[in-house]
Amino acid sequence: MRGAIMAEHGPKQLAGVIAARGRATMESRLGRADRSPIGVWFWELDRVLLGLIVALIAIGLLAVAAASPATAQRLSTSSQTLDPLYFFYRQLMWVAVSVPCMLLVSMLPKDEARRFAILAFGLFLALLILVPVFGSEVNGARRWIGPGFANVQPSEFLKPFFAVTMAWILSWKSREHSIPVIPLTLGITGFIALLLMNQPDLGQTIIFCGIWFTLMLVGGMSVRLLAALVIGGIVLLVAAYAFYPVATQRIDTWLFGGETNDQIMLAYRTITSGGLVGVGPGLGTEKFHLPEAHTDYIFSVIGEEFGILPCIVIALTFLAVIIRVLVRLLDEEDRFVILAATGLVAQFGGQALVNMAVNLQLFPSKGMTLPFISYGGSSLIAIGVGMGLLLAFTKRNPYLDRSRYMMKGASG
Amino acid sequence: MNTIAAMPGRRPITAYSGSVGTATYQRLMILALIFVAAVLLIILRLTSFALFEEQKSFRSLSTTYVPERGDIVDRRGVPLARTIAAYAIWMKPDDIRGDRKQLAADLERIFPDEPAGVFYAKLTAGKPTYLRRRALPREVSEVHALGEIGIEFPREPERLYPEYDLAAHVIGFTDMGGTGRMGMERVLESRLTDPAKRAQPVALSIDSRVQGALRNELSKAMASTHAIGAAGVVLDANTGEIVALSSLPSFNPNKLDAEGVRNQANGVTQSVYELGSTFKPITVAAALDAGTVRDLSRRYDATAPLKIAGFRIHDDHPMGRWINVPEALVNSSNIVTARIADDLGQERMEKMLRTLRFDQRPEIEIAEKGLPIWPRDWGRLTTMTVGYGHGIAVTPLHLATAYAALVNGGIYRPSTLLKVQPDQAPAGRRVFSAATSARMRQLLRMIVLDGTGRNADAEGYRIGGKTGSAEKPSAGGYSKSSLVSTFAAAFPMDNPKYVVVVTLDEPQGTAATSFQRTAGWVAAPIVKRLVPRIGPMLGVLPDTRRDVDVSELMPLLWRSGGGH
Repeated sequence: MRGAIMAEHGPKQLAGVIAARGRATMESRLGRADRSPIGVWFWELDRVLLGLIVALIAIGLLAVAAASPATAQRLSTSSQTLDPLYFFYRQLMWVAVSVPCMLLVSMLPKDEARRFAILAFGLFLALLILVPVFGSEVNGARRWIGPGFANVQPSEFLKPFFAVTMAWILSWKSREHSIPVIPLTLGITGFIALLLMNQPDLGQTIIFCGIWFTLMLVGGMSVRLLAALVIGGIVLLVAAYAFYPVATQRIDTWLFGGETNDQIMLAYRTITSGGLVGVGPGLGTEKFHLPEAHTDYIFSVIGEEFGILPCIVIALTFLAVIIRVLVRLLDEEDRFVILAATGLVAQFGGQALVNMAVNLQLFPSKGMTLPFISYGGSSLIAIGVGMGLLLAFTKRNPYLDRSRYMMKGASG
Repeated sequence: MNTIAAMPGRRPITAYSGSVGTATYQRLMILALIFVAAVLLIILRLTSFALFEEQKSFRSLSTTYVPERGDIVDRRGVPLARTIAAYAIWMKPDDIRGDRKQLAADLERIFPDEPAGVFYAKLTAGKPTYLRRRALPREVSEVHALGEIGIEFPREPERLYPEYDLAAHVIGFTDMGGTGRMGMERVLESRLTDPAKRAQPVALSIDSRVQGALRNELSKAMASTHAIGAAGVVLDANTGEIVALSSLPSFNPNKLDAEGVRNQANGVTQSVYELGSTFKPITVAAALDAGTVRDLSRRYDATAPLKIAGFRIHDDHPMGRWINVPEALVNSSNIVTARIADDLGQERMEKMLRTLRFDQRPEIEIAEKGLPIWPRDWGRLTTMTVGYGHGIAVTPLHLATAYAALVNGGIYRPSTLLKVQPDQAPAGRRVFSAATSARMRQLLRMIVLDGTGRNADAEGYRIGGKTGSAEKPSAGGYSKSSLVSTFAAAFPMDNPKYVVVVTLDEPQGTAATSFQRTAGWVAAPIVKRLVPRIGPMLGVLPDTRRDVDVSELMPLLWRSGGGH
């Protein structure tokens, strides 16, 4: 039995197995008998975080089922009629791919996970650089690369790997003070931002910059410099409005109306037409007027069919994920783990907040999916891998921690 | 695990660990607070959406909804026909998962008017079908709550007539396929379904308030006289717009049943009647115009029935003396009108009636138009009988358009059911001289002031008009027992604005009408009650100090005890 599991998970898990065996006495004392790699993994995992993620995925499946008929009807032609639940079935398939991805990544030991993320960062950065050359254009923006089935949006995948890699670079500081890590990460972030603005993709640019700013904040940058960054960010936004046509158009339509504003108006009608408890699953009507009902504006569809209260519950669930991760980081010692987990949760939470804010007319951008809830294979797998990394970094042996505290408490 | 993580005494760890200090602890807390604040903002925004949701969603309905078929509204914008997206309940038997017997019972509970057996038969018939063609939203959500995936709720356009049978003959109806089958629905078919125009409703000339008053008065009269039918029309004398048109019994276009189908005949535009004495003013006007009557005080012999070609023309109320033209109209003398028509001659009589289009179907948009019965062999006798409205059968609408020309200065205009914008009225064509029209206004007013139309005199509204009671032709001659009683009127006579024609089909004498069933007793009172109701709506206010000046003609009327 054990041999089979070892064959399945490779030599890497062997260490875990041995470690588990080493703790055998303590575990038996606490009545914990399962020492298989999966058992150990499950024991060390932040199960509350995993539960919240599973809840979000379940909500997402319901929401995509609600939004699917609207998009299916929109994309049906006279010759081809899409099944109303076409996107639901596809989402089901993507969940079936994404969840195992997440769990596999979460099984990696921390060092392995970091190495994997840094390598993947290099790969997807290369892909992102190649997008302007080989990419395909969708809706006037060149964001996708790769043939047919393997057609991916490199920026989606780059986000979690970027967060981990930046955290890694910044964590050098504690070992080697001579390396100018902050200018280095700023340079990488700026380079990616330029690539993204060239696509153009204003929303992702803001997310990447947001991740970097969060790392600076948590990494201990002085308050004066942080204030300078905030002011610099505002100046950059104003400059973007003045000199970057995409930003000008987005902000103009947000402020003064226009085609995009019509979409915002349609989203507004959809989200408000359900009242507190919604019109009921499958009974929404406004959603059929909404473009991108299954992706960018899925939050509005939830508002129509299930009501404003479930929308509030979803917002609170995202907050719960963020707070759970941040609170557990409070007694973490590894600087890299703190930075990587903060970066990943900033990416996850930032994306959710931007999407909800766009749906609620609080933010001028669009093209941002709601993590785990919006339809989309590329984004679902990317978010799954990102959350897998987060789960991997937040793994800990509660007894090791506990014994140390007890020791500390006894000595202090 | 959680309890362990939350154990007290962990705070000192920050001091213990070398690289991660109090600063990081604070920064993580700040970051958490930033996220809490952002989510609070989102929740606040959601709450404000929930609070101000209702008025906004109402607005969105009016700005985005374009009906599949355009609305029909009255001249003031009151909806008469609209299209809503109604629910149907559709069943796909292959997808039914639950127990069909139970499902049928549940459906019967929701739709008590249909037995479970009918539902069960449909559920087990094996082919997709409608369980209900129409269902209310409440019923739909109840069926939805049954959770049966084989039942769907397609939205289908449903034509709705919110005023029920109020103007059913004017509006008509659409069939199950949504095609206009009668009335203006049929006429406006292409306009109402034109994608470029259907967002804009079509305004009819009808004023639903006037329509309601007319319908109400007609049905009251119909009930009190036990008539088998009633019809009435209110016509703008200067534009040809039909402000109200009612034909009773009516039908409900929302739900046509067998009785409704029987009641579809339009009594104003389709049924032709011998309208009797209401023709007399037309004959007199034609004679005035032709110059065969120059002197209204000229007397004609009314002492005895007029014998011609083996036919006797007699008066209902024999005068037994020679009478002048105003007296002939005021007392509705057949004999004298026949003599005036005889003087006018067949050619001019025929020409006048053709000018008024009494030989063709009435001029109006709707297709439900009756063809008049025009005399086949027109001889001298025909001229004389047509002069007092016998031997020719036209629709009440023919009479209304003729009366409009009679009082509005002599201009004939086709009638219309579409709203005419101010100063867009058709020019029309002259059929009477202005002088003749002015004279007719005096004479019609005199009939109401001092003649058979006395019962129509509503104080202050200066009504003028003429009664007409004709026996209905039946097998083997005219039937003494079945009358068509008509009153054709206009008001106010000093400046005529509206023509009103009301007709009762086979009224019976009742106590309410002093056991009389002639127009003066049954039809004229309808006008007397109707005009004070509709006058103020149409901008005609009662005024006892104004009237058409009839002082020069009144002395011509012979009064018992008077010196004349």
